[in-house]
Amino acid sequence: MLRTQEYILNFGPQHPATHGVFQVILTLDGERIVKAEPVCGYLHRGIEKLAEARTYTQVIPYTDRMDYLAAMLQNWGYVQAVEKLMGIEVPERAEYLRIISGELSRLTSHVLATGVYALDVGGFTGFLLCFREREKMMDLLEELTGSRMTTSYARIGGVADDVTEGWLDKLDKLMDEMPGYIEEYNGLITGNEIFQARTKFIGKLTPETSINYSLSGPVLRASGVNYDLRKAKPYGIYDRFDFEVPLGTNGDCFDRFYCRVLEMEQSVRIIKQAIEQIKEVDGPIIAKVPKVLKPPKGEVYQEIESSKGIIGYYIVSDGTNKPYRMHVRRPSFINLGYLDEMLRGYLVADVVAILGSIDIVLGEVDC
Amino acid sequence: MFGKGLVKGLQITWKEFWAPKLTVEYPDKQHPMPERFHGKFVLDVDKCIACGLCVNACPNRVISLNKQKVGKKQYLTDYKMDIQYCLFCGLCVESCNKGAIHFTQDFNMNQYFYKNIPLVLVRREAPAEPLEEPATGGEEKPKPKPKPKPQAPKEEKVAEPAPPAAESEAAAGKEGQ
Ligand code: SF4
Ligand code: SF4
Repeated sequence: MLRTQEYILNFGPQHPATHGVFQVILTLDGERIVKAEPVCGYLHRGIEKLAEARTYTQVIPYTDRMDYLAAMLQNWGYVQAVEKLMGIEVPERAEYLRIISGELSRLTSHVLATGVYALDVGGFTGFLLCFREREKMMDLLEELTGSRMTTSYARIGGVADDVTEGWLDKLDKLMDEMPGYIEEYNGLITGNEIFQARTKFIGKLTPETSINYSLSGPVLRASGVNYDLRKAKPYGIYDRFDFEVPLGTNGDCFDRFYCRVLEMEQSVRIIKQAIEQIKEVDGPIIAKVPKVLKPPKGEVYQEIESSKGIIGYYIVSDGTNKPYRMHVRRPSFINLGYLDEMLRGYLVADVVAILGSIDIVLGEVDC
Repeated sequence: MFGKGLVKGLQITWKEFWAPKLTVEYPDKQHPMPERFHGKFVLDVDKCIACGLCVNACPNRVISLNKQKVGKKQYLTDYKMDIQYCLFCGLCVESCNKGAIHFTQDFNMNQYFYKNIPLVLVRREAPAEPLEEPATGGEEKPKPKPKPKPQAPKEEKVAEPAPPAAESEAAAGKEGQ
């Protein structure tokens, strides 16, 4: 008697397309996926626990190590939570510097996501092309913060350092060139027919499921749900900038990818406006905060829009100089939660396309 | 028309092919590092008052220092950084009131042997001062309550026994290489 049988295929943990160390146990029927079981935790470092043994300032470098591709946004979320807990007013110039470095971080993250996605579906040139600009942005970040990726730039009450001489002009110049580069990405990757064939109508997400699964970031907006914290609940000084929230229509891999490309354009817009405005703002870059930070007893939750989605910090203070408990809502981890259903019914070749389109970073998934 | 996108992509690649090279041939050539780069540490020994603020600021307990009491002043005898645990966050540099510890642009801290990884910035003997009673407390761990203020004015006294200090420092530097 002839009969077919399901079999199990391990995708990862050491697989270049998992963007880190991540395993998906695929149950396959021929080439069709019947079930996918994500296994994460290979990169777990216990950052939440480590934070309990660090002072509030000392936690900042650890937040870098979550989403190291957009470290400034992680720093920012954390310091905002502590500032909310302590009721610290951040100086205006610091807010601008946060916006500039934060959006630059978002750009580096999105440029990488765009390039790596091209690589995931088999286009190596697009990958290298994106690295070209990413390098320029990282050089700028390095000049500002001293580090390329793990910036540790935000401080409770402000930022670590003011801009160097001529830095804003360099950034302005790069931002002027950026639309041209994005045009090149579109020409090389987005417009490519093979790329489109591999990504369109693959891994579809409806708006309802996206909301039910608490997805966020470009993954959510690609299904057409207009929810960007920068617009919905403006934090910092985002209400002063004029930008749009790009939305997708189909909620497929292509939309998720293209949403990021469009978001890059918006980030460029925000940075350009911020550069214009910061020139008129002078003053301190860090508020007057005591050397030893002892927030009052209580708890706080603060969320910001990071490049991958909504990153939220929940901090419980017991009145000492160390957090009693810190929990982080990591967007990559939560966006990954729907992977199983997203993969079901698709072919093995689509696994990488779907996983890549969520744009996870394993440092954040495992925390 | 199918294939239009592909042709456009090829055009972009072709254009990029003639663009100037962005990479350099690394060990022979090197991009300049920005001023704020978080590289290898240096310690300005004369400025350091062994207060231990940097030790306490570090989230990963990278820095360890030893000091001895010479006269009324604390004399720094050892300053070691377990650089393999360093996050290069810069909190130590920020915490130092005296501007003694800072980053350099040198990023090459590779070592062939594990024992060479720790960065020994200072290793020297405390000078015996004949006028005062010789160091009593012996080597002590840095306490979180430093008292930099009363020690600050007497900068000159420690600077005196410079030759032996410089010598052993050079030796320490060699070890750290
Ligand atoms: S904080 Fe500065 S002065 Fe104090 S021990 Fe460290 S390097 Fe020396
Ligand atoms: S850079 Fe950060 S981790 Fe490294 S020694 Fe200084 S405080 Fe510690």
